[in-house]
Amino acid sequence: MNTKGIKLWEENAVPKHRIQWCPGCGDFGVLAALKQALTELEVMPHELLLVGGIGCSGQIRNYLNGNAFHGTHGGALAYGLGAKMANPDLKVICLAGDGDTFAIGVENFVHVCRRDPDMVLLVMNNGVYGLTKGQDSPTAGLGQPDERGSREEHPPMVDALLLALASEATFVAQSFSGDVKHTARMIVEAIQHPGFAFINDFSPCVTYNRFNTYDWFRERVEHVPEDHDPSDRDAAWRLVREFARRGKIPLGVVYRNPRPKRPQRRLPLWEDELSGVDLEPVLATYR
Amino acid sequence: MRVNHVKLLVGGVQLRDGVTTVTDILGKIFTRAGLFAVAMEKGYASTIYGAHQFDPMLVTEEPPVSYGDPEVDVLVALDYDSNPDAPEQPNRDTVLRHGGKLRDGGVLVYDSSTGEIPTGALEARGIQVFPIPARRIAQSELKREIVKNVVMTGALFRLLQFDSDEAYLRQLLEERFLRKGREVVDLNLQAARRGRQEVERVLEANGYQLPVRLEPRPGRHRAVYISGNECLGLGAIAGGVRFYAGYPITPASSILEFMEQWLPKYGGRALQGQNERESIRAALGAALAGVRSMVGSSGPGISLKVEEFGVSGATETPVIVVDAQRAGPSTGMPTRPEQGDLNLVIGGGHGDFPRIVLAPGTVEECYTLMLEACELSDKYQCPVFFLTDLNLSEGKKTVLEDVFRRPQVVRHGIVREEDVRAKPYRRFEVTPSGISPRSVPGTPGAIFKASGAEHDEFGFVSIDPRKRAAMVEKRMRKLDTYLQEDWKPPQVFGSVRGNPVVVGWGNTRPVLEEARLFLQRRGVPVALVHFTHVFPLHRRKLEALFADAGPVVVVEQNFSGQFADLLQRELRIATRRVNKYNGVPLYPTEVAEAVLQALQREGAVVRIGGDSQPVPVEVGRNEHEGD
Repeated sequence: MNTKGIKLWEENAVPKHRIQWCPGCGDFGVLAALKQALTELEVMPHELLLVGGIGCSGQIRNYLNGNAFHGTHGGALAYGLGAKMANPDLKVICLAGDGDTFAIGVENFVHVCRRDPDMVLLVMNNGVYGLTKGQDSPTAGLGQPDERGSREEHPPMVDALLLALASEATFVAQSFSGDVKHTARMIVEAIQHPGFAFINDFSPCVTYNRFNTYDWFRERVEHVPEDHDPSDRDAAWRLVREFARRGKIPLGVVYRNPRPKRPQRRLPLWEDELSGVDLEPVLATYR
Repeated sequence: MRVNHVKLLVGGVQLRDGVTTVTDILGKIFTRAGLFAVAMEKGYASTIYGAHQFDPMLVTEEPPVSYGDPEVDVLVALDYDSNPDAPEQPNRDTVLRHGGKLRDGGVLVYDSSTGEIPTGALEARGIQVFPIPARRIAQSELKREIVKNVVMTGALFRLLQFDSDEAYLRQLLEERFLRKGREVVDLNLQAARRGRQEVERVLEANGYQLPVRLEPRPGRHRAVYISGNECLGLGAIAGGVRFYAGYPITPASSILEFMEQWLPKYGGRALQGQNERESIRAALGAALAGVRSMVGSSGPGISLKVEEFGVSGATETPVIVVDAQRAGPSTGMPTRPEQGDLNLVIGGGHGDFPRIVLAPGTVEECYTLMLEACELSDKYQCPVFFLTDLNLSEGKKTVLEDVFRRPQVVRHGIVREEDVRAKPYRRFEVTPSGISPRSVPGTPGAIFKASGAEHDEFGFVSIDPRKRAAMVEKRMRKLDTYLQEDWKPPQVFGSVRGNPVVVGWGNTRPVLEEARLFLQRRGVPVALVHFTHVFPLHRRKLEALFADAGPVVVVEQNFSGQFADLLQRELRIATRRVNKYNGVPLYPTEVAEAVLQALQREGAVVRIGGDSQPVPVEVGRNEHEGD
C-alpha cells in the first residue's frame, strides 16, 4: 500500500476524526477504496471533480482531497455531465445514494446512461434514506420475502443493474464496500472506461437497515464467473437474472462495451480564447 | 400617396399557408432596400397546423418608435379554401378577424381561388379589394402549389409599387433556389409576375388609385432583419457564453436552435436537456468548470428550474437564465405575451441569495444587455435573469449593424496557479465586496469544495452561527457592490419634475415611448421612466429621481402589477397602474388613453381589455384568439 499516496488524499479534506458517518457505515469502505483507486491511477486531486449527491453518501466528497460540488437532491449526474462537457480533461466522479439516484434523480440516471459522458457514478446503495432516519428508498426490499407490489405505497424494488442495462449504460459493475479491495478494483476499471461507468456498491446502513447487514451480504455475494463475456448485453441481463433467482449478488463487471466516441475539446473560457470573435458569418445569414 | 410608411398584416392558416415565410421574405427584402421593417406582434397558436396565424409588419423610411397601433393599411389573406356549408369559411378568416383593423381607403388582397367573398362593407369604407386566385394559378398554370405565396408576394409588391424590376425578389430567390436549378428560380419569378398581372387586372377594372408606395433607399446603412432570440444568442456568443442548455418550450426554443447551429462554430456546445432541471444543472456544471453558461426557457420551465437558482446563489456558480415570458399561470397561453414572471425570478427559491434581473426593452438591447448579463454573472457569481417575452423573443425587426459591437470579454476574479502560490486560496473568502476568488478545477493548488449546504470559507459544511451569518452577509453584500458599481438607472424620457410619470420595464418601452409622444401632442406632458436593470433597485438614487415627480403610473403586461408592487415596496411611493393581461400586445393609443384615465384619481387601476362582460361560450366553434 502506498501510504504517501494515500496521505495526499487526506489534504483539503475534513479530518478523519470529524467524519460524520455512523461507526461501521459502509461508506467508510467506499472512502478507503476511492483513495486506493485514485492513488493507484496517480490521479492528481486538482484534476478531480467529485460531485456529491444529497444524503450521507454525498458527504464523501468532503472526506477526501479534490474539487467538489454538491447541489440538489438527484442532480449530481447532470452537474457532472455539464462539467465534463465543458472540460473533457477533468476526472468527474459522481458519488450518490440510492434514493438520490433512483428516486428523485432517476430522470438523470436514465438519460446520462444514454448520453455516456466519460465519468463515473458510484452509488452507495443501502436501501434506505439514512439521513432522514430510515424511510424506504427505491432499492428497499433486497432479499426480503416479498409482499411488495401489493400496495402502491410499497412498490417492488428497482434493480439498479437492469435499469442501467435498459438505459444503454456502457459500463455496469457491482461491488460491496465490505470488500474494499474489490471495490477499489471496480473504481479503477470504471475510471479507465471511456464512457459512463456505473458502479452499484452495496454499502450497508448499520443504523437503519438491520436486514441487509455485512454478514447478510457476505453470505450472498459471488464474483462474476470468469467465463462471463461482459461485452454481451444479453449475457449481462441473464447473469443478473440468474444470480437473483439463486438469491445471490454478483460482484464485478457485469457489462462493459465502450461506444466509439468523437473526441471533444475543452470549451473556450479564457480571455484570449474569447477575444476576436467574428460575428460576420452569423450576421450574413440575416442580411 | 403616402411614401415609405405602411402597416401590413399577413394572415392565413398556420403551417399550411406559410404566413411567416411570406413576412420573413418581406422583412428581409425591405431591410435590403434600406427601409425599416418591424414585425413584433406575432399572432399564432400553440398547435402545429390549422389555427389562424397572422403577422403584422410596419415598414418605414426611418426607424419607427414602435410597431404602432393595430390599424393596418394593407391586409393580405393567404387563406384560400371556402366551404359554403362550414359555419366558418377559412378563406374569410383573416378578413373576418382583421377586416375591422383596415384603415378607410386601405387595401385588401386575398386568395380567391375557391371563390370571391362578399366585401361590400369594406368597399363602402373606400377599401380597395384585390381578389387574386393565387392557389389556382399555382396549381393549374404553374403546376406547383407551393408557389402560391410567391404569387401573393408579387401581387403585394405591385400593390406597394415596389421592386417593379424584380431585382430584390430575384436576388433572394437566386440565393435560396439557384442550387436547385435555374428553372426553380424562373418558376418563382413567373409566379410573382402572375401576381402582378392579377393586380393590374383589378386596377384597370376598378380604376383604383393605390394609397401607399415603398421606395427603396439602398446603401444608407448596413442592417439585418433579426429576432430578439437571435440577437440575445449573438450577444451571448460575443459575451463569451460557450455552453447553452435548453429544453424545448415556446417561445425559447428558437434560442436552443440558434445555439445548436452557431455555438459549435465558436468552440462551444449546446445541449438539449432531457428536462428543464437537467438543462440548468448541466449549465451549472459547465460554469463550475469555468465556462460562461446560459439556459433559456419560459414560465413553466423556469418554475421547474427554481431549485437550482438557490444552488447557483449558494455555491456562487454563475448562470444566465433567459426567461422568454409567455402568458401564465400553468400552461397559460404559450403563444401569447405577458410580463408575468417578475415575481418568480425575483422571489423564486427558498432562503435569501443574491440575484440580478435584467429586461431588455428592444431587439437591439437583447444584444447589448446580454453583453452586460455575461459580465455581471461572471463578476457576481450568481444567477442573472434575462427577461424577454414572446413578442420580443420571436418578433423580428430591422436592426442596424452598428449595434453589434464586440467588447473585450473580461474574466472576473478567476485565480491561476501563480496567484495561489502567493496567497492561500479560500473559495468563499469573506471580502468587503462579497465577491470571492474563484478557481477552475484543474488549477494546481486551488482545490475548492463548493456546496449548496452552508459552508465555511473553504467550502466545508458548517452550521456555526458566526460562520453562517458571515457567509449570508458576504453573499448578499454582492448586491450592494452591484448597485454601486454596475446598476444602471432607468432611462428617462421627458422631464419628471412636477409631471405625471409613466413607468415601464422590459419589452414595452417602444410602445410606452410612442404613447408618451401621443400624450405630448395632446398637450399632456408626461415623463417616461423605463427600467432594464429591474432587480435589485437602487433605493437612494430612485428616491431622488421620483422626489419631485407627479403621479406615478406603472404600465405592465400582467394582472397584479408586479413591478409596481416592487417599486412601491422599495421606494414607499404610491403607484397607479395600467395592466393588460388578455394576451394581446400593448398598443400606443390604448396606453395613452389608459394613462389619462389613471391620472384621474389616486390609486387607479386601469385594465386594458379587462373588466369586460363574460363572453358567451360557443360550443363546437373554434375560439378566436382574442384579437
